[in-house]
Amino acid sequence: MHASRRLTIALAGNPNSGKTTIFNALTGARQKVGNWPGVTVERKTGTLEYRGYTIELIDLPGTYSLTAYSAEELVTRTFIVDEKPDVVIHVVDSGNLARNLYLTTQLLELGVDLVLDLNMWDDFEDSGSDLDLEKLHTMIGAPIVKTKAHRGEGVTELLDAAITLVEETEEHHRHVPVSYGSHVNDLVSELATLLEQNPELLGNAPPRWAAIKLIEGDAVVAQLIEGDTPETKTIRRFVERASRHISRATRSDPEKVITEGRHGYVEGALKMALSERAVPIDRMERSRRIDEVFTDRLLGYPIFLVFVWLLFQATFRLGTYPMSWLDSLVSRFTVFLAGVLPPSLLTDLIIEGALGGVGSVLIFLPNIMILFFGIAILEDTGYMARAAFLMDRLMHALGLHGKSFIPLLMGFGCSVPAIMATRTLESKRDRILTTLLVPLMSCSARLPVYILVAGAFFAARAGTIVFALHFFGVAIAVLVGRILSRTIFRAAPEPFVMELPPYRLPTARGLLIHMWERSRVYLQKMGGVILVASILLWFLGTFPRAAELSRDYDGEIELLLASGAAANSTEVESLRAERAAEELSLTYVGRAGRIIAPAIAPLGFTWEMGVSLVTGFVAKEVVVSTLGVLYHAESDSAESGETLARALSSPDSGITPRAALAFMVFVLLYTPCIITVMTIYREIGARWMWFSVVYQTALAWIVSFAVYQLGGLLGFA
Amino acid sequence: MTGTEHLSPLSALSPGDAGIVTGITGSGAFRRRLLDMGFVEGACVRVIKTAPLKDPIEYCIGGTHITLRKAEASLVMVTPAPHLRTCGPGRGMRRGRGLRRGLGWRRWWRD
Repeated sequence: MHASRRLTIALAGNPNSGKTTIFNALTGARQKVGNWPGVTVERKTGTLEYRGYTIELIDLPGTYSLTAYSAEELVTRTFIVDEKPDVVIHVVDSGNLARNLYLTTQLLELGVDLVLDLNMWDDFEDSGSDLDLEKLHTMIGAPIVKTKAHRGEGVTELLDAAITLVEETEEHHRHVPVSYGSHVNDLVSELATLLEQNPELLGNAPPRWAAIKLIEGDAVVAQLIEGDTPETKTIRRFVERASRHISRATRSDPEKVITEGRHGYVEGALKMALSERAVPIDRMERSRRIDEVFTDRLLGYPIFLVFVWLLFQATFRLGTYPMSWLDSLVSRFTVFLAGVLPPSLLTDLIIEGALGGVGSVLIFLPNIMILFFGIAILEDTGYMARAAFLMDRLMHALGLHGKSFIPLLMGFGCSVPAIMATRTLESKRDRILTTLLVPLMSCSARLPVYILVAGAFFAARAGTIVFALHFFGVAIAVLVGRILSRTIFRAAPEPFVMELPPYRLPTARGLLIHMWERSRVYLQKMGGVILVASILLWFLGTFPRAAELSRDYDGEIELLLASGAAANSTEVESLRAERAAEELSLTYVGRAGRIIAPAIAPLGFTWEMGVSLVTGFVAKEVVVSTLGVLYHAESDSAESGETLARALSSPDSGITPRAALAFMVFVLLYTPCIITVMTIYREIGARWMWFSVVYQTALAWIVSFAVYQLGGLLGFA
Repeated sequence: MTGTEHLSPLSALSPGDAGIVTGITGSGAFRRRLLDMGFVEGACVRVIKTAPLKDPIEYCIGGTHITLRKAEASLVMVTPAPHLRTCGPGRGMRRGRGLRRGLGWRRWWRD
């Protein structure tokens, strides 16, 4: 055998055809499997060695067609045209040949070396029909392989077929032209000949394919003949004449005629090759029975709510256990390092900045892994499409897609996994809009702030206020969603043409790959930026170090201790607290808090509140500890929480109840925390990140201002 | 062609009803997506059910179940075919009102 040859094989197919399962079976790569149309948006590759070949396998996006209208379809066909894979394996759902073979006709138009993979062959066997593979082979010209990918059956035969196809001599490659009826066929051939004479215009595009696409009115292929030369003019004139001719002859338009031609070709092929059983068995029957319950008028919503409640609880309740293990692991390591390293600024940087940063990256990992495991179950079983079906009417009112509901709901736990969950949305518009609304769902980090402030000022009605704040966030999201979808996102929302795939039992392997794939994205994409951001924020919260404090705290403490006071006596404690407060107020963060003080004065906020809002950018619960430092009620005991509450509500603090309410509204609405902001940056780009930070802060200011001033007008203190 | 007097938008059919597609009045990406999914002239489409809030609607075409919003379904013109028992070439619903079968307890509960 000679040195290993390279082969490029692409996998193409409809969504839900099991293409990704085949990809996983062949490469063993970490890759996700979805049961939701259009789950594979990125191009995924893997390499394997087989029979002396080094094979590069590309998992193309799942598509129903190869038009210029959708990103997935364009990606697929551009890849096939420009990168010319040696073989395209077309993965077909054998349970639904008619719709799947429609894509085959378009792959045939592209003139690729095709292997037809009849996947989910057991579904076809169950249907009780008979398929004459010889006849089907004559009709499409491609070798045919039967597979049951979820059981790993037949996948190596696919590679064998692909290699045979490559090794065969040229005359074995039979490219069968799809017929659209004599009218169209002749025009296509004529145009193809015309195009063939101008290869410089076509680039990589096969002439016959380009001819079909031009007659169809494909906007992207039309760009090839845009030039102002005699040749392009001739071609353009020919295309115009051809479309006019077809329109007149069929009283229809070319795009429709050609689409119908393809469907007709498939129907013809199946008529020849397929013998139906007397009573065909409908594999959707079982799914329809399940949907009798799951999308029922009365039961549908309660069941859905139970599922999302479980998902939410698993993510954020169950997640707290591994989170606390991770947390104690990090803190143990911190203690260890603090013991080993000499006390210095560098040690501080390593321990508080870097290790703290690593900690804050890791802390989200359990949430994200559990959430994506749950989402994988919803997707791989096929329930996710039903959830979208149930929720679309409500979500559509906000200009969103039914699938947006789950990310938004997860926002009540934490915006970071919630924004990651928008990856289940197909259209870019829906993803961006959903991402912008997620932070308005009051995340669990904001709860400690509400509990503290509401408890301090509205003790009797604290519960009501906390609930009202969550509800208020949703109301604002509805408002913002409606406004944004009527202004910036005016472009029509995606049509809700969504397949409800048959329910399937997910495989453990598929679920794990699915989960890991997305968690890895989090670690790789977010890890770095979060780490950098944490170090930066540590720096801003530590420097400049006060050279001189207003009082000699250390000296005073020593005096007190020398005079016999215990180290934990109130006097010593209060001196320490005052010192910490002064140190914080002298750092960049403290200065920033003071600088913004005039800006937040109309909201009734004190400068201490300003500083806490600045530090709250690290994570919103930090607002509480900062207030603790600044109001001299540091340390983490429950007792100090009460001390802090008392300190806040005392007249000395300068905080009125209506200012407290405005403050909670501000915390609810203002800029998402740094980690969320970084997630937004990584997921939808810098422009939207800035948009999110600015609009939310502006919104927070306006609404808090309204709350505070209205409260004043209504005569509240 | 004389069937035009019975033309009706797909959105006007009730669950369980079937119709024969005669055309799509939408344009661009939406129309093409539907054409690709098999909403071509002569195709049989059946209404499976509406979502609890009456929108979107689930249809069966060519053995595939797909959802359309009401506004989108109103762009598809069909000739109602109430007596048609199959949907798509040999696939799909074989029992006219098959979706009323199964889970008898629910029928009992509702009545």
